[in-house]
Amino acid sequence: MAAILKNTLNRRSVLKGAAGAAAVGAMGSSFPMPAIAEETTWTLANSLRSVANPYHATFAKGGEDFAKSIGAKYEVLVTEGNSEKGIADIKALLQRTSGKLILNVDPNDSPDARVIVEEVKKAGGFVVTQWNKPADLHPWDFDPNYVAHMSFDGVPTAEAIANELFKAFGGEGGIVALGGILSNVPAIERKLGLDNAIAKTNGKVELLDFQPADWNEQKAFEITQAWLTRFGDKVKGVFAANDGMGMGALEALRQNGLAGKVPVVGIDGIDAAVAAIEAGEFAGTVAWDPLWTGGMGLAIPYAHATGKIDITKEGHEHREFYGTGIIVTKETVGAFKNNPPKVDFNDLWGKATGQIQYRG
Amino acid sequence: MKAAALAGGAWSKQWRRWAPVAVLVGLCIIIGLFNPNFFGGANFVRMLNTAAIPLVICMGVTFVILMGSIDLSAEGVIAICAVAASMLVANDFTGIAIGLFSVPAAILIGSLVGLLNGLIHVKFRIPSFMTTLGMGFAGIGVATAILGGVMVRISDSSFRDYLSLGRVFDIPAAVYIAGAAVVIAYVIQERTRIGRWVYAIGTDEATARNAGIPVDRTRIIVFGIAGAFYGLAGALSAAQIGRGHALISQDRLFTAITAIVVGGTALSGGVGSVLNSVIGVFIVIVLTNGMVLMGIEPYVQKGVQGLLIIAAVALALDRSRLDVVK
Repeated sequence: MAAILKNTLNRRSVLKGAAGAAAVGAMGSSFPMPAIAEETTWTLANSLRSVANPYHATFAKGGEDFAKSIGAKYEVLVTEGNSEKGIADIKALLQRTSGKLILNVDPNDSPDARVIVEEVKKAGGFVVTQWNKPADLHPWDFDPNYVAHMSFDGVPTAEAIANELFKAFGGEGGIVALGGILSNVPAIERKLGLDNAIAKTNGKVELLDFQPADWNEQKAFEITQAWLTRFGDKVKGVFAANDGMGMGALEALRQNGLAGKVPVVGIDGIDAAVAAIEAGEFAGTVAWDPLWTGGMGLAIPYAHATGKIDITKEGHEHREFYGTGIIVTKETVGAFKNNPPKVDFNDLWGKATGQIQYRG
Repeated sequence: MKAAALAGGAWSKQWRRWAPVAVLVGLCIIIGLFNPNFFGGANFVRMLNTAAIPLVICMGVTFVILMGSIDLSAEGVIAICAVAASMLVANDFTGIAIGLFSVPAAILIGSLVGLLNGLIHVKFRIPSFMTTLGMGFAGIGVATAILGGVMVRISDSSFRDYLSLGRVFDIPAAVYIAGAAVVIAYVIQERTRIGRWVYAIGTDEATARNAGIPVDRTRIIVFGIAGAFYGLAGALSAAQIGRGHALISQDRLFTAITAIVVGGTALSGGVGSVLNSVIGVFIVIVLTNGMVLMGIEPYVQKGVQGLLIIAAVALALDRSRLDVVK
């Protein structure tokens, strides 16, 4: 994540700034921003889980970048994994801004999205949701206030990164896989993607065992240790549904002298994973683009609010869409670090890759 | 008749004392039958290695629980200390590189936060549950604010070697350090006044006070001791994964308290020992390891774990000394 920022900004100060923004947001005040005539009538806000993880810290930064570019007030709301708090903070902000609010929210849990959308519609603001929402909740049913829903498709992403793993150990042998919390949509999608990739090898790659490590690095460490006892050198590669668990697995391998010998893949593109790719210990990761989602989730509703577009006239593929994940491997890591993905706030759907699909 | 009853009571007492060990041995045998690899030397080393950090944490929490209080701040204190330790050795965040001196520094920071826990709890008469819960959140908050969501990468390889990766007789360094922590905790428990006073306070605080035991001071010191162990655990965590971040100790607290209770230490205080906690940690670790070795369905694992924990507590905890069970 940080690697994305490296060339454009000073990473540390940026992320510290993001943390500061969260702290300020939590206290209910706002950044002093230069007053620019009409633009400042809208308040922009990103709501997210916690700035303790690199993904959301960068997501918050993306929103700040966009707010700065138009000179608007910007706030960060933090749920800390608590749906009640997340919704209460949003209601309070709607009240304070008299509904002149543009909100980009990663709901703590899927059902929260409905409540948030209804509140925003009632107050007359605009909202974009990320990742989590019930399958039957659609932006076009709440015109024009529910502007869009953005997500990333876990199935093809996980399939692609699994194939990178297979390539890294020669395409034949056993692998073990670490999954996320069993009920999470991304966890289910990523498992499905892995299963697809394995099926396409016609039995050349065998899934020795799958264990959910609940996105937790420490659990991944413990499970990987036990796998080494159970399967020994039958383990040719480790698939992790996120980089955090992948790092836990990598350290378990290191304790057994296998780091760099048994390849690991993850998803998220955290800087530790990018560094592990450079060191030859990770076979790959998928970098999301939180700077883009954090900013674009505000830029699209802002374009509608200021009359640049009419969101109600846009097709469904512009209302519910996937962003682009970037596959980072040993071959592409240099280019990825030198050319971090750029965000163009005027190109509203440039990085959208198709309408969201609902499976099962 | 009376003698027989007494003998029966003594037997049951003996049984309770050894019940956690029996549970541990029983578990090992069952898992070993399913998968003989369990008894391999390499697996024992792996389990010892996995147990190292939980052991150090439990040494701290046990004293607080024996005293009849609770300490929920472990995760937060470990996060601060792990982040501090990783920022003090050669790293990609700060220009500081004091090598192994970062370990005493982490222990010092941990014990200071622990003392603060104790002071707030005793001086403001705020229940330890709330004080330490708040301190735990504050700890993670501080670690988050320092880092702003990024991770500190440790580039000092000797720090990682001495605290985690290095091996003597094929056993990782972390295991020796955890062993030393257990010995220190046992000496504190058995050979110091604080250790004895902890039991007195946990059994009956009013009597302890009447007997002239400086209850308040003991409480503060015990929270400080607990913090010191969390500090060490923080340094070990940073060395184990080679990074420091705010979520490094996620879920550690629940494992620690489970291990302590399964080991036979009563949450009501006064009953148990740091050695019980050692057995408890191994029960939890062996169970986690065994579930994977036996290939138990992930969906079933948590249920099995829950049942076994209840069974272990039922066997180990001497409820005859508890007037009420809350």
